[in-house]
Amino acid sequence: MLPYFGEAIRNLFKKPATERFPGSAAPKAAECYRGRLSYDPTKCVNCGMCIRVCAPQCMTRTIREIDGETQEITFTFDMTSCTFCGMCADFCSQHSIVMTDDYMMVSSDPKDFLVTGSFQKKKPAAPKFTPEQLAAMKAAAEAKKKAAAEKQEEKV
Amino acid sequence: MFQKWIDSSMKKSPWIFHINAGSCNGCDIELVSVLTPRYDAERFGFRLTGSPRQADIVVVSGPITMQSRERLVRTLAQVPEPFCVVSLGSCPRSGNVFKGSYAIDGPLEKWTHVDVSVGGCTPKPEAIIAALAQAAELLEKKRSRMHG
Repeated sequence: MLPYFGEAIRNLFKKPATERFPGSAAPKAAECYRGRLSYDPTKCVNCGMCIRVCAPQCMTRTIREIDGETQEITFTFDMTSCTFCGMCADFCSQHSIVMTDDYMMVSSDPKDFLVTGSFQKKKPAAPKFTPEQLAAMKAAAEAKKKAAAEKQEEKV
Repeated sequence: MFQKWIDSSMKKSPWIFHINAGSCNGCDIELVSVLTPRYDAERFGFRLTGSPRQADIVVVSGPITMQSRERLVRTLAQVPEPFCVVSLGSCPRSGNVFKGSYAIDGPLEKWTHVDVSVGGCTPKPEAIIAALAQAAELLEKKRSRMHG
């Protein structure tokens, strides 16, 4: 009987177990919690691996041509469609996608659930010769070789 | 005459009605944990009710499956105006991993207005409490607009 009394008296002076959340700051999420993802477009190389592994297909990639050499690539991650499995972050070789511990995703505006980022990618420098020119050069070289071989035969 | 008095007292007790439209039960468990002593949404007057006729805030979880679609629409039609709809988790907004399935008929916007949505799969109880508080505020605004 006595230990129960002790427990009862201790409970009288205990702090309440209820979280005082809306009155105070939101508590931190657990370690390794997968919340809203963050996307760093400066690190992205546009490999498209995240789009491949995403089960709910929450990503959209739009490629806009700026001029002949530059493209603007925009990634949009829809957090209302995400399963928070973390596969995109695991497969991102450049670590440009990272899952943060921000779990407070509450809004009446659908735009607040979008994570976007865009970067510009330059096309590699154009080759010196066109394929036709290359073929012509190859044919010329072969003809030269053949001529040289024939000359050799004549000598013999 | 009593409308003002009724409104001010209803402000302090927004009752919740929960519709499961084909959810995996994850969001449902989190919603119930919001009412437990640890998170205790009942200190703000939120209470889970069993009838849509008594509800002020309707919480919908799950992608809208073909089987639950008709029940969802029928239940929402019974909720007295004004009411707020809170979508819980990713599923009602987009279908989540079930997107494009022949068995679902979402998103929720197709069937009703969505006032507040909570992201997450599943959302944390703190996020749900924040959403409910936001919905209660919206409800108050709607009510004052309705009664002038």
